[in-house]
Amino acid sequence: MILNPAIIALESGSVLITAFAGYAAVNATRILGSWDLQSGSEQQLELERKTYLISTILAYLMCFEIISLFLFTYTAEDIHDLFVGAMCAAGSLNVNDYGYPTLVLKALNCVLCSQWLIINHTDNMAPDYPLIKTKYKLLLVIFVFLLIETLFQSKYFLQMEADVITSCCGVLFSEDSYMIAGDIASLPSNATKIIFFLSLALTVRFGIHFLWTGRAAMTFSMAATYLMILSVVSIISFISPHFYELPTHHCPFCLLQKEYHYIGYPLYFTLFTGGIAGLGVGVLDRLQLSASLVNLVPVLQKRLCLLSMIGYILFAAISVYPILFSDFKLEGY
Amino acid sequence: MIELLQVSKIFNAGKPNTFTALQEIDLTIEANRVTVFKGPSGSGKTTLLTIIGCMARPTSGRIFLRGQEITSLPERFAAETRRNMFGFVFQNYNLIKGLTVLENTMVPAYPTGIRYRIIKERALEVLQKLGIDSKARLKVEYLSGGEQQRTAIARALINDPSIIIADEPTAHLDTELSQAFIEIIAALKNEGKTFLIASHDPLIFESFIVDRVVALRDGIIVDQGQSL
Repeated sequence: MILNPAIIALESGSVLITAFAGYAAVNATRILGSWDLQSGSEQQLELERKTYLISTILAYLMCFEIISLFLFTYTAEDIHDLFVGAMCAAGSLNVNDYGYPTLVLKALNCVLCSQWLIINHTDNMAPDYPLIKTKYKLLLVIFVFLLIETLFQSKYFLQMEADVITSCCGVLFSEDSYMIAGDIASLPSNATKIIFFLSLALTVRFGIHFLWTGRAAMTFSMAATYLMILSVVSIISFISPHFYELPTHHCPFCLLQKEYHYIGYPLYFTLFTGGIAGLGVGVLDRLQLSASLVNLVPVLQKRLCLLSMIGYILFAAISVYPILFSDFKLEGY
Repeated sequence: MIELLQVSKIFNAGKPNTFTALQEIDLTIEANRVTVFKGPSGSGKTTLLTIIGCMARPTSGRIFLRGQEITSLPERFAAETRRNMFGFVFQNYNLIKGLTVLENTMVPAYPTGIRYRIIKERALEVLQKLGIDSKARLKVEYLSGGEQQRTAIARALINDPSIIIADEPTAHLDTELSQAFIEIIAALKNEGKTFLIASHDPLIFESFIVDRVVALRDGIIVDQGQSL
């Protein structure tokens, strides 16, 4: 199993990122302990030189970590035909106890790393390292999660047994399933649709208000973050059945297959763009801003807000397309 | 204008070939003056100028330029400061062979994002001021030593910096060309430019244009000099 090229790429990438994050975490403890911009000491100047290099390398590695979420799901999707019973990534992830936890950890790290990248970008906009301690504190947290993710991912790939009979997505995401996926699949579609589109409209409304007035950044951010979770629920509840044109098929992974024109990739990409950028608006709002950032952060927040709204509007457009243009109707479920 | 506090520079620290180029330099340099750093080879003149000009970072110590600390600047801010505040005339001129005098002069202005036409106009203006505009279309490898140096000065002036750093500018020039260089410096000084020059050429540090001579030896300032 480990000899699959995508698995080798994922494993190598995860080990590299975690190892470098570990090195950066060691430097983070030094920075948190002895950073003093007023000092001209040899140690301080060394930290200033190092932090620039470390931040730059970490930024690239974290970009890979974000992309690896998609690579991981693609890999799980790609290897599903090796397992009896698996029809898509849902089955592959269920072959042992580490598949779904790894996916959740990857999604969590994707969000954390993207927030770190936003903070790092903000910090780099000013000449006096105003957010250096904040970003290195967050890095320590990310390092722990990256380490756990790497362990879980390794366990997942190393403990795959080809003779295991797994469950297909039809079972895992059926309305009769006793798991949380089953609960979501059995949500009434009309009510979920109303809540989703109402939440989307409210989020866009809050976004326009923030862009127009520069106020209520946290309200928009909370709405955008809540919408990200609601969107995942909506995909399982009513969006995916429209793509499959099958009322009982709620799988969020089959969307990644060729039969459905790989529509899952742009769908999830726009969703994560909307959610992550929206969350970033709130994260920046909570930071203690130095004089060097006071005028720069509101501009960045507005860009993120705009990006978030574009992401969600595109996500909604992709989701609505089969609802409007296919003959399939989901009313009554 | 420029203040150095306890600036040290150690190369290969912790290794057998450790070399201390500068030791705890404290210095204040006034604006609109010509300050010459003199001293034998290896005294730290060039290292000091590269650190002041944001081309290298000290091992310890701080430098303030117009009150703003510049040694801690992240690289992109350091590059911006270097580009906007300093012009450099290197000992060997460091002109790019294969490019014309005009093209060499324009090079430092490209990253500023100013439109090409405006940069070209400005470059021709600077070349004219230095009396080398007739050679603008000539490739730099065909220039004489004096012409190469004037091209290097033109390149240093293209972004209109307030401080010009020149490292051994007369090392490859005869007396006549060195005098011509001094006249150019005098004219630019009258325009309000600040000059920091590393030289052990008496023609330079004994010149009438020089306001202050700072003597270095073994990385230490042995004579702060007095502003004239």
